[in-house]
Amino acid sequence: MKVARSGMSIQAKTNAIGWSFISVAVIMICVFYFYPMVQALILSLQSGRGMNLQFVGLDNYVRLFTDSMFIAAVKNTFIYLIVQVPIMIILGLFISVLLNDSRLKFKGFFRTAIFLPCVTSLVAYSVIFKYLFAADGLVNTMLMKVSIISAPIQWITDPFWAKITIIIAITWRWTGYNMIFYLSALQNIDNSIYEAARIDGASAFKQFFQITIPLLKPIILFTSITSTIGTLQLFDEVMNITGGGPGNATTSISQYIYNLSFKYTPDFGYAATVSYAIVVLIVIFSVLQFKAAGDRNG
Amino acid sequence: MKKLLALFMASMLLLAACSSGSNEPNGNTGSTGTDGGAQVTVWAWDPNFNIKALNIAKEAYAAENPDANINIVENAHDDIIQKLNTGLGAGTTSGLPNIVLIEDYRAQGFLQAYPDMFYDLTEHINASEFAEYKIGPTSFDGKNYGLPFDSGVAGLFVRTDYLEQAGYTIEDLQGIDWKQYIEIGKKVKEATGKDMISLDPNDLGIIRVMIQTVGSWYMEEDGVTPNLVGNEPLKEAFQLYKEMMEANIVKPNSDWSQYVATFNSGDVASVPTGNWINASIKAEASQSGNWAVAPIPKLPDHPDAVNASNLGGSSWYVLNIPGKEQAADFLAKTFGSNVDFYQQLITEVGAIGTYIPAADGEAYKATDEFYGGQSTITDFAAWTEQIPRVNYGMHTYAIEDILVVEMQNFLNGKDLDKVLEDAQNQAVAQIR
Repeated sequence: MKVARSGMSIQAKTNAIGWSFISVAVIMICVFYFYPMVQALILSLQSGRGMNLQFVGLDNYVRLFTDSMFIAAVKNTFIYLIVQVPIMIILGLFISVLLNDSRLKFKGFFRTAIFLPCVTSLVAYSVIFKYLFAADGLVNTMLMKVSIISAPIQWITDPFWAKITIIIAITWRWTGYNMIFYLSALQNIDNSIYEAARIDGASAFKQFFQITIPLLKPIILFTSITSTIGTLQLFDEVMNITGGGPGNATTSISQYIYNLSFKYTPDFGYAATVSYAIVVLIVIFSVLQFKAAGDRNG
Repeated sequence: MKKLLALFMASMLLLAACSSGSNEPNGNTGSTGTDGGAQVTVWAWDPNFNIKALNIAKEAYAAENPDANINIVENAHDDIIQKLNTGLGAGTTSGLPNIVLIEDYRAQGFLQAYPDMFYDLTEHINASEFAEYKIGPTSFDGKNYGLPFDSGVAGLFVRTDYLEQAGYTIEDLQGIDWKQYIEIGKKVKEATGKDMISLDPNDLGIIRVMIQTVGSWYMEEDGVTPNLVGNEPLKEAFQLYKEMMEANIVKPNSDWSQYVATFNSGDVASVPTGNWINASIKAEASQSGNWAVAPIPKLPDHPDAVNASNLGGSSWYVLNIPGKEQAADFLAKTFGSNVDFYQQLITEVGAIGTYIPAADGEAYKATDEFYGGQSTITDFAAWTEQIPRVNYGMHTYAIEDILVVEMQNFLNGKDLDKVLEDAQNQAVAQIR
């Protein structure tokens, strides 16, 4: 082996080249991710109106626990989370298994149709949902015409139904997105496993629960974590469909951050504190889900 | 590798060139101190109202200063609030306009959250020539930062044909209180089947209108202390709101377009709100002659209550950045002193200003066939002068979000004193 001219060993040279390649990414991440994160952490220790910020230590964090609006926002977000994520994941799994059937015709068409909501703009679909679910909107008109209900459901202005509307909307928007992950994972499962199971006389149910689910576990974990994070950050739908109302029945945590910085006299410090609360929640949930899924694959 | 490097360098150079290119014009406008030539950028919302008014102002100003360069930019209201907050909050003024329109309810928030970012207009305008109630929200620390623009003077827009069916005339609605309003509403509903009013449960504008008739607000006179518990007018307003709901004369709506639809379609008999609703009411030309405007009802049982109140309204602010003198001059010579310009505003936009000398002009006396020949502008101008002055303070919307929730609790049976007490506690915790 030749000795490098500069006196560097080949090893060192290779290392240097390697580092120089990743340094660009590292610097970018530091400047655009870590630096703002640290700044936000510092900001979250301050409070005040607009630019008149003062250090208040952990006061903001203490304030979180007595802030009824924050608590309402967290409650709402949890309701979305607990109801919507399981529905969406089960629905996504179900549809992907249906669409993976080799005997199904027009597979491409159905897959596209179900994935299509994911490419629509969040604001655009929210506005359309708002009109569909208006008191005299299409949904109510249809339900009344087929005599399922006798009086229009107050989809937007009733605290209970408003939550349902938001859940329907996010489910429509994100089910296809999760389905795509399951589909691609399903195609990686060797067909011979199913064949063997069939020869052994396993029913379709058994195949689904004993083969498909266990083999999809890492993907299910992945989608449930991304869905959880997505739900905790929910903003566009709530903002555009119900505006957080009626009262604060549908406000999400992200919308509260928006209100604190833009709707009310801005308190950017406290808003940063609330956003750190989301970070903490996301970390807790992700850890919980890893634990629940138990493991080796995760 | 070399090629890639060359490409990289080239693109860096290009980027650098681009950025310096776009900086240059900005730098120029900032540094030219001579009159004219410098560009004055104005942000406002609503093309049919504020932007139209600005365009007329621009023409009026150009007649005297032909080389003035006024750049009017339309932005949605919420976008303006966001852009101002992000820009000013980051401590940078680049990309921000010279003049901006701010809603009166929010003005104190901006003035106090970003001190020194707004330019003092005290020297440029004569504050005593504007409606008195507008001076509170637009000034801070004894200085006038805002040039009062449109009046949010409230009126009771009513369908005279529905009233007639219920046995009333417009005369019966002069100087009434909200209790009488509800009684009339019940009769109208009986006779026509139409609801008296449309309300959005998320917007307590009607409560604000009610309490301002006696000069009360969500906050104390200092503008920062929540004034909810023990606020008699607010308590009465809450009771009246519930009475309206229970009298079954309210048609709910959940957003602006639904709200407009309720009266354009003829589903409600009255619209008690700011005069700026005028354009939306007139949008349904087939109802011409069926409308009239009565003074806004007052709170009952208060000797000092007046039949005049306010909803919304906004004012012009100059940012403390290069070009401010030019911007202030533009405002002072149009919105700040030009009586003829205000006549044009009335005839072409229907915008009622708060500049008192303008009210003597001819355009203010015109009658309106849509409202059965009523001189609506004269009436509005007269009511504007009676509006009780209140300090909107900094937290109107933060407190309203709390009240919206507590109002629902109240409607569902919670005790009113407890409602206001809880609201007060939340507000104290929220505002600090």
